[in-house]
Amino acid sequence: MNAIELDEPLVVETLRQVIDPEIDCNIVDLGLIYGVNIEGSTIRVQMTLTTQGCPMHESIASGVKMALLNVEGVKDAQVQVVWDPPWHPSMMTDYGRARVGLRA
Amino acid sequence: MNPQSNLGANAPSVTLPLRFMVTGLLSLVTGVLWLVLRPDILATYHYNQFVIALTHLFVLGWLCTIVMGAMYQLVPVALETKLYSERLAAWQFGFHVVGFIGMVWMFWIWDMKHVGHFGSILAAGAALFVYNIARTLLRVPRWTLIATAVASALAWLSLTVLAGLTIAAGKCTYEAADTLAPANPLAAMLRGLKAAATFAAHFDTIGAMHAHAHLGVLGVFVMLMVGISYKLVPMFTLSEIQNQRRTWISVVLLNAGLLGSFVTILLRSRFKFVFALVLVAGLATYGLEMIAILRARKRRAMDWGLRYFLTALGLLAPLSALALVLSWPGLPLTPFTGQLENVYGFLALLGVVSFAIIGMFYKIIPFLVWYGSYSKQIGLRKIPSLADLYSPGLQSIGYWTWLVGVVSTSVAIALGNAAAVRCGVGLLAVSLFVLGVNVAKMLSHMVHPRSKPLNLRPAVEGHL
Repeated sequence: MNAIELDEPLVVETLRQVIDPEIDCNIVDLGLIYGVNIEGSTIRVQMTLTTQGCPMHESIASGVKMALLNVEGVKDAQVQVVWDPPWHPSMMTDYGRARVGLRA
Repeated sequence: MNPQSNLGANAPSVTLPLRFMVTGLLSLVTGVLWLVLRPDILATYHYNQFVIALTHLFVLGWLCTIVMGAMYQLVPVALETKLYSERLAAWQFGFHVVGFIGMVWMFWIWDMKHVGHFGSILAAGAALFVYNIARTLLRVPRWTLIATAVASALAWLSLTVLAGLTIAAGKCTYEAADTLAPANPLAAMLRGLKAAATFAAHFDTIGAMHAHAHLGVLGVFVMLMVGISYKLVPMFTLSEIQNQRRTWISVVLLNAGLLGSFVTILLRSRFKFVFALVLVAGLATYGLEMIAILRARKRRAMDWGLRYFLTALGLLAPLSALALVLSWPGLPLTPFTGQLENVYGFLALLGVVSFAIIGMFYKIIPFLVWYGSYSKQIGLRKIPSLADLYSPGLQSIGYWTWLVGVVSTSVAIALGNAAAVRCGVGLLAVSLFVLGVNVAKMLSHMVHPRSKPLNLRPAVEGHL
């Protein structure tokens, strides 16, 4: 069996499967991912949410972890939710802005 | 480590708020159908057993039940803490349902002694609710404007319930208090109730009823709308608070106006106009901040849930104008001004507060259903978004029928025309039917979840 090499594009692509169900956009294009660190079979993700006290907090953070653990070769996934710097719509990708219908 | 161990760390179980929501909706449907059958109730002056029974059905059965369920859900997540006790909340639900059903029934047949008994059961539940939320507030990591608004609403709720029980005690007699042995604990309770009745006798009956009702609607529901919307509206529109000082001023003015209005309405003082002005100033300050938040929003489109809520806020303007007219010093009590008082109550309960709640319903119910059906599949399967759970077309029909229903019923009440009231509340019934279809559509996801396998390793769309 060929082992899949863990790299950032694969991780980002995996994270794109996680959506914020209120905004209906994936968390990568929303600009919620602040950093990805891969060490062997362990992945650490630093991320934020659109607002502190978001009712989806646990669901999204847990979803990120589950999605990463589902990738072949990943043995541990650690998700850290941070509030500094606070999220701002300017962090969204063009695709995300178009999907959400954002003002310029 | 179980990756799902953090799921729902702050929110209570889904079934707890859902049972409050379903009970509240059933009460609303019952109340509206009741009005369709008996529109004459609103076409006459409101100081009668039927209006009081129906008002308590709407206030306790619909609004209080929904608001309490929503608070058990929202306060922990909005304030980033855990609910103090889910078990207390489950007990409160039982007390609340028995209490409000008994009260409405006893008001209808005008048995005030039993109103007091069922009111005491309801009050025991309300005390559990206040204690539970107050203990939850004590856990918040940092005190905020929202915490202040929630704490204010709890204080006004306590005073409203106390005032209601005192009014009920004042309508009963206590002959047995003098015949029971002094050591009998029942005698002590009866003497306490007799003292409450003596105290209540100092005040004008209608003034006391108006003070009680006004404090309940504005102090509890409008205060919560104001406080919670400072969190939710920026969150749903991708905006932010524009002026923190203005938000605090609005809550302080509302609290000052509420206290002053309660006392001056109770005493039938001419100064109630001054405190009505303070309340209107608080609402105007709130309105200015809401407009600023909406102007700064990044998300152009507003979903129907938000439109319901913002329309409710817009209805605060005619409600405020009516409040100023009705509190005008020396306003004569004519049949027309009596009908305007009915319009004031109707517009507040079924216009402002109900419209806002139905709007938030379209936020809370999809979230609860989604949370129960899909939260564990996030990142693992392709799952629907919240907006996929309901029909925007039905939301639009529900919105317009409710709005036209509220406006036409208000006009019909002002004119004292029972047939026109029936047409107006008929539109509200149509709107509720549409809401029911949409709620059923949402709840169907709990029975038949509609997730699909993920499209693994999809082609990168060039927007990495």
